[in-house]
Amino acid sequence: MKKAITPKQAAFLLPLLLLLAVFAVYPIVTSIVYSLFDYRTNDPAAAGLYTGTNFNAPLFYEDCDYSAWYLEDDVSVLTGDDAAELQAAADELKALSEPYKDAKEVVEMSKADSEKMAETIRDLRERILAVYERNPDAEYWNGPEKLTILLDEMDGCRISGNFQGLAAYKKLLSDSRFGKSLKSTLIFTVISVFFELVLGMALALIMNKAIKGIGGVRTTALIPWAIPTAVSALMWSYMYDGSNGIVAKIFADIGLISSPEQMLLSAGGAMSAAILADVWKTTPYMALLLLAGLQIIDTGLYESAKVDGASAVRTFFSVTLPLLKPSMLVALLFRTLDAFRVYDLIAVLTGGAQGTETLSIYAYKLMISQSNYGYGSAVVLAMAICVALIAFFFVKFLGAELISDD
Amino acid sequence: MQPKKSTKIISAIIIVLFLAIMVFPFFWILITSFKPGEEIFGKTAFRIIAENPTTANYETVIGKGILNSIKNSLIVSLITTVYVVAVSTLSSYILARCRFKGKSLLMALILGVSMFPQMIVVGPIFNMFYKLNLLNSYWVTLAYSSITLPSATWIMVAHFKRIPASLEEAAHIDGCNQWQTLWKIIFPIALPGVFTCAIMTFISAWNEYLLTCTLNSDKMYQTVPVAINALRTQFSILWGEITAATVIVVIPTLIIVLLFQKQIVSGMVSGAVKE
Amino acid sequence: MKRFLAVILALVMVCSFFACEAFAEEKIVIKFAAQGDSTPATQESVDAFNAMQDKYVVEWVDMTNDSGAMKEQLITSMKAGSSDYDVLSMDVCWAGEFAAAGYIEPIDQMMKESELRASAFNAGSMSAASYNAKTFALPFFPDLGVLFFRSDIVSAEDAAVLVSGDYTYADLQAMAEKYKGQGGTTDGICFQAKLGECLMCNLTEYTAGWTDVKGGLEAMKAMVDSSAVPADILNYAESETANSFIKGVSVFSRNWPYQWGEIAANGTITQDQVGVAPLPGGSTVGGWLLGINKNSQNKEGAWEFIKYLATDGQKTQATTGGHLPGYNAMLSDADVIGANVMLSMEGFQNALATTISRPVSSEYSKTADTIINAAHAFLSGNGDLDATAAVIEEALAG
Repeated sequence: MKKAITPKQAAFLLPLLLLLAVFAVYPIVTSIVYSLFDYRTNDPAAAGLYTGTNFNAPLFYEDCDYSAWYLEDDVSVLTGDDAAELQAAADELKALSEPYKDAKEVVEMSKADSEKMAETIRDLRERILAVYERNPDAEYWNGPEKLTILLDEMDGCRISGNFQGLAAYKKLLSDSRFGKSLKSTLIFTVISVFFELVLGMALALIMNKAIKGIGGVRTTALIPWAIPTAVSALMWSYMYDGSNGIVAKIFADIGLISSPEQMLLSAGGAMSAAILADVWKTTPYMALLLLAGLQIIDTGLYESAKVDGASAVRTFFSVTLPLLKPSMLVALLFRTLDAFRVYDLIAVLTGGAQGTETLSIYAYKLMISQSNYGYGSAVVLAMAICVALIAFFFVKFLGAELISDD
Repeated sequence: MQPKKSTKIISAIIIVLFLAIMVFPFFWILITSFKPGEEIFGKTAFRIIAENPTTANYETVIGKGILNSIKNSLIVSLITTVYVVAVSTLSSYILARCRFKGKSLLMALILGVSMFPQMIVVGPIFNMFYKLNLLNSYWVTLAYSSITLPSATWIMVAHFKRIPASLEEAAHIDGCNQWQTLWKIIFPIALPGVFTCAIMTFISAWNEYLLTCTLNSDKMYQTVPVAINALRTQFSILWGEITAATVIVVIPTLIIVLLFQKQIVSGMVSGAVKE
Repeated sequence: MKRFLAVILALVMVCSFFACEAFAEEKIVIKFAAQGDSTPATQESVDAFNAMQDKYVVEWVDMTNDSGAMKEQLITSMKAGSSDYDVLSMDVCWAGEFAAAGYIEPIDQMMKESELRASAFNAGSMSAASYNAKTFALPFFPDLGVLFFRSDIVSAEDAAVLVSGDYTYADLQAMAEKYKGQGGTTDGICFQAKLGECLMCNLTEYTAGWTDVKGGLEAMKAMVDSSAVPADILNYAESETANSFIKGVSVFSRNWPYQWGEIAANGTITQDQVGVAPLPGGSTVGGWLLGINKNSQNKEGAWEFIKYLATDGQKTQATTGGHLPGYNAMLSDADVIGANVMLSMEGFQNALATTISRPVSSEYSKTADTIINAAHAFLSGNGDLDATAAVIEEALAG
């Protein structure tokens, strides 16, 4: 029978929980909230999380100010009633904006007030445009086009709310670009993690040998991993370069690719290039984790296997591998999680061309380049769900004992 | 029984070949770093020894303050390693050793937070640091916990699980409390795991780019990846300088790995772990 | 007596030290976030401004030259409502998005008070700096795409045609094929077709400012498929293009004016071997703008600095920095012309007269992303002309 956690145990866990809550859970929850809104910072009507009717007071003040100013410029080229009419509109705009002079942020506004404001703006627009229409030939400083843009923007200051519930997730289902990037992410993850596991295992077995100079071998083997990804991605792009890249040249010379340019410009080439660079970089990580696992295996087991006359290969599969399961699980889990989020490497090598656009690249373009935080967050969450599924299967097949107690 | 000499030689050749392939890209970085700007492109790009070898790239990057970036990187990576190892040791001991309700859920949660890409973490943390006035400082190390703590904890849990419970029971009988048991009995035996975890954390922190780039935009606090990535002009990348900087920054990491690599392995081989 | 004098002297020194301190504290600090500069120009401009008045002191926050990373840093900071940076240097294609997001301050009123008219500045930059009938920035330095050619290889007759600008991309392709291989070259022409913002700039030129999308795509595809370009042209950005040209590998090259300086700095050819010409469909305007952070606490000081840097400060930018001046009055300044040989070249002047710009919109990144993805796939041979043109037209319409 499981008991509830004791205060003493909780005290041991507290630092971990605090750090994770502040630096991981809080940002994630923020992101989940974003995904429920049509949140795009480059559109004033969707630049925040608005559930009810709101009013962008600072922008409204700025627009009134500009319109009044532009109108007054244009008054000077008109005469008589029309000049007076335009001047009156300018004065009205000033009066209208007066209450919002010191506004610093978006304020709440009741639906009735918001509609009344729309009415006022519509009325002003009609009157202003009428004056311009009556005098089409005057040489205005600003003219009706600029005023129309400003009046449109003023009308846009009335924010009707951008809560959209699960609409972003619905959109994901029909977004072919999401599907494509999910596919390339899966291809990248499966192939690179597979090779990393196999090569990492080989490397771990080598590093585990108690031979002379093994310290040097272990250190050298970790070099790729000690080069920051942001930097190694740049280096690989130099080495893959069609005209100056040594790796592209070697591959072309030995016939792996038809010519050096094909390395980054054919669909298969670009993906293989990214996978190779990733395998190179993270095999040491895999090896180090597996090496730690190898250390715990009782040497006596090997000796008895030898006595039984088992071959080295058989010993590996029947003794080493099963005992290595927990370490392998951890290594596989974290490598898969990492590979699934691959960003730097592909951004530098291809920028997402030739079918190498991964989910991270797509999400980055949406969120950071296009300021579409709502939909970008939805992509990120969908991505997390996919990884969670993979993680679930790993844990299920490789070692539920790590999570539970039995 | 000694393996045959021929197998030994073959396996040695395989090992050397394997390592050679792994090291080749770094070797290429090394030779490129001695090439002058005009030899990096064109036919001379494939030469192993530069026609006119130069150390100018090294002088330039040192002049640009790469050593200060290495200092920053060492500071943040060491701080991160120390506190992450401490925090994850404490918690994984409990997670590996004690039974309580909701433990699986907690383990899943710890794993779950590392399923999200960093780009969503950066914004909220920036806002937080901005309000607390912590931007451009070494406090960025705390933010590194989001990338290092989950894996460190899982690695340590996997490790602690393998240490026999009998040791702990003996300690209890001797009258040790939980803290003493962890500190005096479990921790020493788990040292190789602790060092593995420490090296992993150190290198993750050493490699981190996005957080430090956003939170510490001031050059004073720039870490190595940020400093190297900045070695470019508006339209071109300064390959000579980047390769030279890469060579310089790999050295400290290698020294650290060289110092600690024995600890990863030796502790366990001589350790008293029998299952 | 001596001791007394020493004490007095020490006192005076201490007082003056504190006076200096107090005086220094009175100055308002203006933070200027701008990308790294490989020339001393930016620092010199900042120093010159600091020396000419004593109310403000500008501090240059040296950002990265990785423009994607810089944009991200700026956005993260401004989204948090930070007032850390007062003056921002922005790529021309960010201005629309920053303005729509309310990150930067409109400057029309300040321009009016300072009696500065938009027409006094580079027209292409100013059109990129205006959004929704308001002006948000002044040019830091403009840039424009031009055609570089090897005047020692191309015949005088062809050179004259190029300099006049009276040619098409098909003519250019024919010439590139014709001259390829001469004078030690192996490629005819290089331009930027790598998936990225550089492709957007090149497409703007091929489509003559998006007036002829289909024709532009066809011309670019023909160029990409021809023998005139290197095989990996679809992976060429500015630096690959420059490397090819300055090493004498290609006869023609579409690039920004910085390539002129590169020839002298790293090239195996010399500037006498090179001519400059306008591009057939017009030259895309690039470069950087100066704006004021809406949350800045020192908008007046920020404006004073921008005003200086965009007008008189343009001289340092042009002479020391080698940039094209964004302030039109500087185009006829003797020092500026003396320092920029290109400015007096007929081909360059013709290019300056035919500038075109990328679409200015709050959704620019999204538009550009759709366009370059479709175009790059088409150029790689994965898409048909009509469908690609339709996707692009739709993206342009918004």
